[in-house]
Parts: sequence; C-alpha cells; structure tokens
Amino acid sequence: MISAIGEVLLGKEHQVRLALACLLARGHLLIEDLPGMGKTTLAEALARSFGLGFKRVSFTSDLLPADLTGLNVFDPAAASFHFQPGPLFSQVLLADEINRASPRTQSALLEAMAAGRVSVDGTSHPLPRPFLVIATQNGLDQGGTSALPESQLDRFLMRLSLGYPPRQAERALLQGEGLRPDGITHAFGPDDLLQLQERCDRQHCSGALLDYVLDLLERSRRQPFQGHPLSPRAGLALVAAARAWSLLEGRDHVIPDDVQAVLAAVCEHRMDGGQRGDTDRELSQRLQEGVDGLR
Amino acid sequence: MSRAAAPLQWLTMGLLAVGLLGLSPALSLSLLAFGLAVLTALKLREARRIEERRVVALLQLVCAGLLAALRPELGPSLLQGLAILMALAGLLALELGAGPDWKALLRRSLQVLLAALPIALVLFLLLPRLTPFSNLGTGHGMGAVTGLSDSMEPGSIAKLSVSREAAARVAFPLGGGPPPLEQRYWRVLVHERFDGRSWRSAEPPFARPAAGQPTPAPPPPAPGEGIQLWLTEPSGLSTVPWSGAGRPLSADLNLQRSGELLNRAPGSQRRVYALTRTAEPGDWRSVPPGPSDLLLPRGENPKLEALAGEWRRLGSERERLNAAGSWFRAQPFRYSLEPGALPRQAPLDHFLFETRLGFCGHYASAFTTLMRAAGVPARVVSGYRGGQWVQPVGGTGYIDLRQADAHAWSEVWLQGEGWRRVDPTAWADGDPLASATAGAGSLAGAGGPWDWLQQQWWGLDIAWARWWLGYDSEQQQALVARLLGKQRHLLGLVVLLAVAISLAASLGGLGWLGRRRSGDPLRLELERTLRAFARQGMAPQAGETLAGFAQRLTRRWPELAGPLGDFVEQYQGQRFASTPSRSGRREAQRLGRVLRRSLNTGIQSKEAVQRVDR
Repeated sequence: MISAIGEVLLGKEHQVRLALACLLARGHLLIEDLPGMGKTTLAEALARSFGLGFKRVSFTSDLLPADLTGLNVFDPAAASFHFQPGPLFSQVLLADEINRASPRTQSALLEAMAAGRVSVDGTSHPLPRPFLVIATQNGLDQGGTSALPESQLDRFLMRLSLGYPPRQAERALLQGEGLRPDGITHAFGPDDLLQLQERCDRQHCSGALLDYVLDLLERSRRQPFQGHPLSPRAGLALVAAARAWSLLEGRDHVIPDDVQAVLAAVCEHRMDGGQRGDTDRELSQRLQEGVDGLR
Repeated sequence: MSRAAAPLQWLTMGLLAVGLLGLSPALSLSLLAFGLAVLTALKLREARRIEERRVVALLQLVCAGLLAALRPELGPSLLQGLAILMALAGLLALELGAGPDWKALLRRSLQVLLAALPIALVLFLLLPRLTPFSNLGTGHGMGAVTGLSDSMEPGSIAKLSVSREAAARVAFPLGGGPPPLEQRYWRVLVHERFDGRSWRSAEPPFARPAAGQPTPAPPPPAPGEGIQLWLTEPSGLSTVPWSGAGRPLSADLNLQRSGELLNRAPGSQRRVYALTRTAEPGDWRSVPPGPSDLLLPRGENPKLEALAGEWRRLGSERERLNAAGSWFRAQPFRYSLEPGALPRQAPLDHFLFETRLGFCGHYASAFTTLMRAAGVPARVVSGYRGGQWVQPVGGTGYIDLRQADAHAWSEVWLQGEGWRRVDPTAWADGDPLASATAGAGSLAGAGGPWDWLQQQWWGLDIAWARWWLGYDSEQQQALVARLLGKQRHLLGLVVLLAVAISLAASLGGLGWLGRRRSGDPLRLELERTLRAFARQGMAPQAGETLAGFAQRLTRRWPELAGPLGDFVEQYQGQRFASTPSRSGRREAQRLGRVLRRSLNTGIQSKEAVQRVDR
C-alpha cells in the first residue's frame, strides 16, 4: 500500500509511512509546507487507499464553526429542526490552510478532533470512525493568519513537512509518471483500518522501551534544553506512533528505532512551539542524541 | 521512613537483650552494657522523629560493640553480628524511605557490613590491641557445676559420673594428632591435705596475684613447638585443665609449683587459653614434696596401716610402689559407679579389705593413703581422663571432655624421678577406660545427632578461638615484624594507607553493587560486545540505537553481517518482545560470544593477510 501511495507521491516514502502510522495510531496530522508540494495529494491518497470518505475544507478567515460542524436547519415540512451535518462528518477531513481561519473556528475543529464528537445546540453527534484530520498550514509569513497556539499544536499527533522531491522523482513527475490519487484502487476497507488500529494497541512495549521513552521525556524537561518540555500527552503520542511504526515494520513489539523514526514528526512541533527552526528536526535530533539509545 | 524501621529496631533490641543475658555480672563493664541497652530501649519507645530513631540506631550499634568486647566467643559473636545487621537494616529503613521491603533492606544491610570487612580486617590485623575486657573483671564464681571440686571425698564424683555435660575441649592446632589414650590425663586440682575422709587442696591454695596488676606477657611459642588450645565451660574452680606438660601462653595463667594451672579470670566464665605442647615433663614434676605429702591421720584405718607397714620394710620407694601395685592387681577389686556408702569408722579399711568395690575416688584415695602410710610422699590429683577425639567436618580435631570424664588418680614421689602418675583405678576389674578405644575415649558414651551437631559447633568454636581470639598482641607483633622488618616506625603510615585503601575498596564495591543492580546479564552481554567493538575503534554515536550501530558496523565489516544480525535480532527479541526467556537470554549471550569471536578472528586474519602482502 505504501508503494501505491508512493507512486502518487513520488520520492516521499518516509513521509507516506509516517502519515500512515499517524492514521493507524488514530492521530491527526499537520502538514506544514509551501504550496504545491503535494499536501492535498497525500491526504487524498491516504483516504482513497482505505476507501474512506474524504472531504476538503479550505479555511478562510470568515469561516465559522457552524460551517464545519453543520447546523440545525428548520424543516418546514416536518415543522421541526433537523441537523444538517457539516464537512466534519467525514472519515478524512483535509483542513487546508488551517492557520487562515479565526481562532474560534480552529478551536471548534480541534475540539472535534480531540473528543470525536460534535455538539450543536446541546445535542452531541458522534463523528464517523475512523476519523482523521489532515490539516495543512502554510509556512510562509503571510498576513491575516492566526498561528495555532502551542496547546492546540499538541493535539496533532504528528507534524510533517514534505519538502522538495528528489531530482529523480521530480523528473518522473514532470514526465507524468506519477499516479493521480483517484487512480488508486483501494485494497483495504474502513473496517480493515479499524482492525489495524486495534492491532496497533496490542503492539508490545517492554519495560526497557518505556524506560527509553521516559528518558527522552525527562531529558526534554531538564535544563539545559532549548525546546519546550514534552507533556505526558506527548509521551502517549510518541508511544502510540512508535507502535504504529513497529506494525508497519512487520514486528509485534516496539524497539527504540521505532521511537526514533517517529520522534521528529511527533515531538518537534511540541518542542519548538510552532516556531520552525532552521532545520525541521533540530530539537528532536538534539533530544535523541542526549539519551542513550542502546537499550 | 519505611514502615519496617520500627520492627527492625525492636528486633535489634531483642537480639541485644539475648546477648546481654549471657554476660557475667561479675564484669564491671556488663553493668555499663546493660544500662546502655535499657536506655536505648527507653529511647526507642518514645522515639517519634527520624532524628531520634537515628540516635537509637547509633546507640544500638555502640551497645553491640560493647557486647562484642565483652563476649568475643563464636556464639555470642554471631548473635552480635545479627544484631548489627538488624540495626543497620533499621537505619537503612530510616534513610531509604518507604521503598525497599524487608528482604531488600536486609540485603543492603548485609552489603554494607560486607563492605566494612576490609577495613575491619586491616584494623584487626594492624591496630595495636587492647587487653581483652573479659580479663579485667573481678569477682567470684557463681557456683558453677563441675565434676571436680576443691575438696574430694570418695562418693562426690559418683553422682557426676553419669553427666554428659560438657567440661572442656582441647585441640592441638599445630598438628601432632591426639595423644594416645593412656596419656590422656588432664590435671586440674592437686589434693594433698587428707583428714581421713576428704582430700583438700593446700591452704591457702595459691598466692593470688592482685587483679589488674600487669604481668609480663609470656614469650610466644618457639618455632616447632606445639600448642594445646583449651576451651573450658564455666566451673567454680580457680584452676583449669592442662596436660601437665608445656607452658602457658596467656599472661593471666600461672603455673603453680604443685602442677596446677591457676586461672586469674573468674571461673564462672567460659575460658579460652593456650599452652605450648611438649613431650618434656614440666618443672613441677621435680619440685620436692613437702611435709604435708606424708601426712595422714594415724590409727583411723588400722588394717591399711598394717599392710603399708609391711611395705615400709622394703628398701626403695620404687619397690614399695611395685609391691602396692602387685597387691592391688592380686586383689579382686572391681570398678563400680554404685559402690554404696562407706562406714564412718575405718572407711578405707572397709573398702580395701571388704567391699573392694568403687570408682576412681576410692582407688586414688586408698592408694595414696597406703603410699603415705608406707612412707612414700603421695597426693591425689583430680582432673579429666580420656576424652573423645572428635574430627569435625572440615576442621581441626579436638578432644571432647565431658563431666563424665572427671577422674582422680595418685601421684607419688620417687627419688631421682620426681612425681610419677599412678592410676590405681586402672588395676581394678572393669575399669571402663581399659576397654575404650582411642576414638571413643570418653565414659560419657556415644551421643545422639544432637551431640554430633554440638560437636561440629565446638569444632567451629575452636577454629574461631584459634584464628580470632588467638590472634593476640604477640602474633600481631610478629606479623608487623614480618611485614615491615626494620621499618617498624612506618607502622602508623602503613595502617593509615591500608585503611584508606580498604575504605576505597569498600566504597568501590558498594558502587559496583549499585551499578550491577541496574544491569542484567543481557545488558552486560551487550556491554561486553560494545567494548569489543570499541577496541576496534567503533563506538556508538550519541543516541544511536543498536540497530543503527549494527548497520554502521556492517558497512565497516561486511563479513560480520551474519553474526551481527543474529545477535541484534536475538538481543532485541529478548529485550523488547513480549516473551523474554532464560533460554533466549542464553542464546543471546551465546550469539554475543560468537560475534566477538568472529570479530577477533576476522581482524586477525585480515592483519595476517596484510602482513603477507607486505
């Protein structure tokens, strides 16, 4: 399946894997990159490969929460209100340019992400399962954007950056060898995804591995360390992502290499507070080097 | 503060109390130890805060130390060691917080104690020694039980003959084996005053030197000289058993002119002492008899005096002795533990010419009286005879003397020879020792498994006495002389240095234990393997995982890919998979060895190829 998506997203196998791991770990994905790097393509390919329902919302500064969640509309025939679901009620939601929306709207989206349900006028409506939000954010300094606060960045399991494709891949792209996302025939269904997500939870984490994770967390909280300290939620996210990664590696247990593979994606945006450094994994690299990986 | 702290400290108090029970109140320091223990217990009762508990732990340790000085024998020492272990565990429970459980606390406490061993050894071997406190005490015996007493009246030993109670042990640590059975006579008391019924020691028995008065230390045994090491149970006597040959090695033992060994420590205590062991007869043997050695109440036993009168006509004392011997052997004397009481009137006549039934007291008494009546200076000696030779498992053999081995015999003065031991009991029919073998030379008979255990324990006791109590200032001086030779003035420096080194070793050992606890065999195997690669210049980078490191290693040594992959896979399987197993760990260790071997052989062969190329 990775190769299938990889054919769509040429030369980005690692990012595809991470995105897939994020999906398996029931996490949400934040893709931060310049326009035209294939963010939307990745989201669409992911959704299609599992046969998931896919919707896309382009966030603008005048987008209201109700535009996302849906609202109760009056049905004159029945003389009553009935709920008209918004685009949130899909299995994969691509939230484009999330930083353009007002904080109020962002917050509504993030609460739906965390709780898995939407409350409208006192009634709560469960969201479909699986539910994955892929948000994109434009990294360029632009007017009229409100950057996500740190507390909300924390809700994204991973932040990815696609980056430019390698020359070879770009050449293939230009030659038109890439696949269109709608060309993916899905081999898995949504039920398969749910099963895989459950299998992820059963991936074995030994005491030695948890010690490694704990050492990483402690290292981030100890001076001298430039970044923000990692929260317990970050620890949970790290373990969940490492579990998904180990499943993708075909193992039934997690090893430190799995943790290191997802460390930058899971932890970098929690540590840099949304301010990107010169290189996108500088802090997590430093964190990883500060903890003995030989366990 | 752990919840185990209070129970541990009370347990320590209990152990200390048991240790205190064995103290003799005759020793002045006993009162101090007792008072200290009571104060500690009171303090423990009211202690609430952690600081107070710490004080209690300190007091307990001081108390145990005081006990150790007062009771250095093996049994009490073990008890004191246990008390110290518990006191330390209590202290650790105070300091380590709620974490560790009982077992962990005791283990830590044991580790701390073991870590203190090197420094204790240095201090034991090199620090100038104090005189044992147990010798400073004064006071009188507590009326202990023994088969012997200052006054001997035939019949007094009868009731003791059946007692299996322990009397003494003697070992010969420098080899030489047990003396033959017929030479196993252990002197304790000499009785020379006879009033017709009972034999008493000379009065006043001895000039007792004032306690505490310094006595010059006896010279150490010459090389090649044997040693007899005695451990005696408490007796009310002021003399202690010995073989009759040799010279005391302890300053508080005085050899009397009568051949008795005077013990200046209170007889109510167990006693450990050593003498040299020689075949030479002691000097006491040639000390001429005094007038009291011929005294006897005339006219009390007319038949006896008549018989002795016949022998008086013989020329030499030796002939009179031989005549008496042949007379005894010709008469139908029989040995018995229940001869019945002798009449008040002419008791010895009654024994010699009518009942002819008795035990050692009767024979020694009658024979000595006969000799005196025949004009030969004679006296009664009491002590122990025989004894069972015990070979404890893995220890030095020793002779086990029971109260049943108590015995009395005679000594007669022969011109030109000195005092000669004569045992008239041996002439009687049915003398139990005559039929005994050297192994079971005791009249106490064979004991059960409890006795066997006790004898093993005594074997340990003797070893303890020999190596621990027996290490006195002379041996220490000898050791220092051997170590330093002429540089004796450097002793202080050497002690300081040794203390520092042993302290460092102890701390290092504790640190190593601490580190080792966090590591397991699997981890050690990994570290060994990493060291092997580090020697070849490949060390893991910061934060690198084993798999990542293995990849780099494979790039450097492609031929190692196989064993490296096997090891990493097995290691990670054991480390991170859900079912680690002992056999899996062994397999990982084996693969680690394979990997290191192939690393070394691979590099060697590469070097060989390079050499050939050159």
